[in-house]
Amino acid sequence: MVRRVLALTSGRIAVVILAAIALLALLGPWLAPQNPLATSDNALAAVSGTHWLGTDYLGRDVFSRLLDGSRISVLGSLEVALVALVVGAVPGILSVYLGRAFEWFTLRIADTLVALPFLLFAIAVIALLGNGLTQAMLVTGVLVSPLFYRVSRAATLAVARSPYVEAAIVSGASVGWIVRRHVWTKVLPPIAVALAQTIGVGFVIVSSLTFLGIGVQPPEPTWGGLLASDLGYLSHRPWAPVAPALLIMVTVWACNLLADAIRDVSGEAGRALANDRKARANRREAAAGPHPAGGSR
Amino acid sequence: MSARLTNPRPGLRVRPVRRAGGLRATALAALLVPALSACGGDASSATGNATLKWASSYFPAHWDPVVSGSGAQFRQLALVYASLTRTDDEGKAVPDLAESWEYNDKGDRITFKLRPGQKFSDGEPIDAAAVKAAIERAQKQKNSALFGDLTSIGKVEANGLEATLNLTQIDYQIPQLLGQRVLQIASPKAAENPKKLDQNPVGAGPFVVEQLVPGTKAVLKKNPDYWDAENIHIDNVELVSAPDASTVVSGLRTGVYNFADIDPSQADAAKKAGLDVFVQPGFNAANLSLNVNKAPFDNDEVVDAVRHAVNREEFVQKLTFGYGEATDQPFPKGYVAYDPKSENAYPYDPAKAKKLLAEAGHKPGDLKLNLVIPSEDPQAEIVQSQLAAVGITVTIKIDKNWATPFFAKDLTFSLYGTTGRDSAAQTLTAHFGPNGPLNLSTPYEPAGFEEAVAKVRQTPLDSPDYAETLQAATRTGLGSKALVFTYASPNLFAKTKSVSALPKNPGHIDWTGVKVSGAN
Repeated sequence: MVRRVLALTSGRIAVVILAAIALLALLGPWLAPQNPLATSDNALAAVSGTHWLGTDYLGRDVFSRLLDGSRISVLGSLEVALVALVVGAVPGILSVYLGRAFEWFTLRIADTLVALPFLLFAIAVIALLGNGLTQAMLVTGVLVSPLFYRVSRAATLAVARSPYVEAAIVSGASVGWIVRRHVWTKVLPPIAVALAQTIGVGFVIVSSLTFLGIGVQPPEPTWGGLLASDLGYLSHRPWAPVAPALLIMVTVWACNLLADAIRDVSGEAGRALANDRKARANRREAAAGPHPAGGSR
Repeated sequence: MSARLTNPRPGLRVRPVRRAGGLRATALAALLVPALSACGGDASSATGNATLKWASSYFPAHWDPVVSGSGAQFRQLALVYASLTRTDDEGKAVPDLAESWEYNDKGDRITFKLRPGQKFSDGEPIDAAAVKAAIERAQKQKNSALFGDLTSIGKVEANGLEATLNLTQIDYQIPQLLGQRVLQIASPKAAENPKKLDQNPVGAGPFVVEQLVPGTKAVLKKNPDYWDAENIHIDNVELVSAPDASTVVSGLRTGVYNFADIDPSQADAAKKAGLDVFVQPGFNAANLSLNVNKAPFDNDEVVDAVRHAVNREEFVQKLTFGYGEATDQPFPKGYVAYDPKSENAYPYDPAKAKKLLAEAGHKPGDLKLNLVIPSEDPQAEIVQSQLAAVGITVTIKIDKNWATPFFAKDLTFSLYGTTGRDSAAQTLTAHFGPNGPLNLSTPYEPAGFEEAVAKVRQTPLDSPDYAETLQAATRTGLGSKALVFTYASPNLFAKTKSVSALPKNPGHIDWTGVKVSGAN
C-alpha cells in the first residue's frame, strides 16, 4: 500500500510534509537557534537575521518557540489518534463476533460518545483532573473513537458474511484466527484512512485547546498558544500569526491529503486504479515497441 | 466649530475686496455660533441623543453591589448606584447621597445627613432606613463580598434623613470607606430579593438600567431623579463587554463604541487611529504573594533574595508598554499614603539575591517553587524568568479554582493585583493585616502594624499629622515579608473626540460634566 500511496502525487506531497513535521517534532528543540524560553529586552521585535520570525511580547525568539512547540502538537495529535484507534477499532471488529449483548452495549456507548462535544468535554476533564494535555488528549481520543468503531465494524460486517469466512467457520476456525487471517487485512485500509484523518483532527483539537490556554502550562510553547498570543499584538506585528496558522493548516491538509491517497489506492477503487495504471503502462510499452520492418506509410 | 468660525488665522492678510465677505462671515458667525453650540453636547443632551457607547473588559458578572464587591467592576455599577460619599480629584471624600457628615468628639460615632427628597429609580425614598438596610445587608448577606470591609461599623441607627453609625473603634476613615467602592446603595425594596437584584439593578445613580443581557450588554438611560442630574449630560449608555482586546480599537474607529478601556498593547494603535488615549489615575498595584508560614519563605534570606531578584522595570515595559509604573508599595507615588522613605528599599540586585540564596544554603537550581495562578498571565512568565536568573526554578501552575486555596491561605507562592481602595487604611489592612484577604501569610503581620493602622484610624483626615501617620503605617506594613510589590498597571482608556474629558478622580470613572456630541 505504501508504494501505491507514493505512486500518487498527492500521496508523495502528503508524506513529504508529514515527514518534515515529524522531523520537527523529533529534532525541533535541538534545531531551535535560541532558547525558546529565554526572555529578552527586545520584545515584539521585527523579523531579522537574529530572530527569523521576530520576538514575542516577552522578547522570546518566535522561530525557536515554533520549532520547540511542534513536539507537543504532534504528540498530542498522535495520542488522540492512537487512543481512538485502540478504543474504537477493537470493539468495532469484536462487536460482529461477540454476540448481540456486546454489540448492543458497544453501539450504545458509541452513540453516547458521539453526542458529547469533545472540546467542551476536554475542558471539563482538565478542570477536574488538572491542567495537562495528556489527560485532555486521552479523553478526546475516547470521544473520537466512534469513528474507528463504525469504520471497523462496517468493514468487518462486509467480510463476515463472505463465503470464504463462512467456509472458515464451518471448517472450525476460531474467531481470533478469522479476524487475524481474513478480517484484519480487509479492515486495515479504511482504518488507515480514518487514522490519517484523525491525526489531522487531533492537530485541530490540540491547537484549539492550546489556543485557549488549556492543556499546557506556560511558558511551554505550542502552535495554538503562539497563535493566541500573537493575536493580542496584531497592531505591533500583524504578520505574526501567519507562521503558526500556516503550520497548523498545512499539517491538517497533509493529513487529509494522505487519507485521500490511502482511500484512492485501497479496496476496489484502489485495485481499479492499479489496473488502470497497469493498462496504461502496457499501452505505452506497446506504443514504444519496435516498429514493423519496412516502417509504415 | 465656533472657534473655527470666529478665530481669524494669525498673520493672515485680509485683502479689501474680501472685506465684505469677511464681514458677512463675521455676521454669519454671530448668528450661527449660538445655534451651532446648541448642536454640540448640550443639544444632544436636550434631544436625548447623547449616547455613551462603552466597551469594557470589566463587564460586571453581578449587579448586586454587595456581591460584586469592591473590585474594578464598581466603576460600571456606579452608573446605576450612588453612595453616601464619593471622591474628588484628590481622592478625598465629598458628599454624594449624604450632604454632610459629622463625628462625635471621641471619633467612634458618625452621623450622615442625607439630601432631602431623593428617591431610588423604583420610587422608594432614600432615607436613613435605606442606608441602614444597605449596611446591614453588606454585613450579613451570605454571599457578601463586602463584610470584611465593614468591620469598623457596629450598630446603625436610622432617624429620618440621619443615619448614625456606631463604630467598633475610633475610625476617621469612614467617609472615605463608604464611597462607591464599598457602599453603593440599592433600593431596599429591590434588595429584598438579592437574586433578582443581581440582574435587575435598582439604585439612585446617574443612570437607570433599561435592558440587561447578562455578561454581554446593558442599556441605560439618564436618571432624571439623580440628585446631580443637572450635571449629567449623557442621555443613554450602552455598556458592552469588550470583545478581544485587539478589536476594541477597530470598534472605536468605526463608531461602534466611543469609549473603551483598552489594553496597553493597543494604546499605540489607538493613538495612530486618532483616538484620545489617556490614563485615569488609580491605585492599582500588582504583587508577588509569599506564604511565610511555608518553606522556603519561612527563611528570611529567601524572601530577601526574591525581593532583590525582581526587576520592576521589566514588568512596566513589557506588560504596560511604559504606561504603568514600577512600584514597591500598594500606593502610587505622590498619593498621601505613599511613603517616600520606603522607596527602593530592596533594589533590583540579582547578584545580591544569589548571595542571599547561597547563605540560606540553596545551590543554584535546587530551590523549586510552584507559582499558582488562576489563568495564563505574562506576569507569571516574567517572574519565572527573573527568578530563574538567580537560580530559583519556578513552575507555573494554572488552577481554575485558584481563589479557594488563595483566600484560604493554602498556597505558598502566587500573584495578585489590586485596584486599591479609597480608604488608605483599608488598603493597608487588606494587604498587611493578620486577617487581610490579600495577606497570603495569615496570621502573620509585620511588627507594630495593627498599632500603626489604629493610629491612622484615630487621626482625623484633616489633621496636620494625618499624612505623616499614614506614611508611617505604610512603612510598618512594608516590613511584611509576605508581599513584594512589582508594578502599577495603568487605568488606560481610549475615547473618540465626541466624548469630552473625564474628571481625574483617582480610581474612579465619574461621568459628572462629561458631554457626548453627535460626531465621532
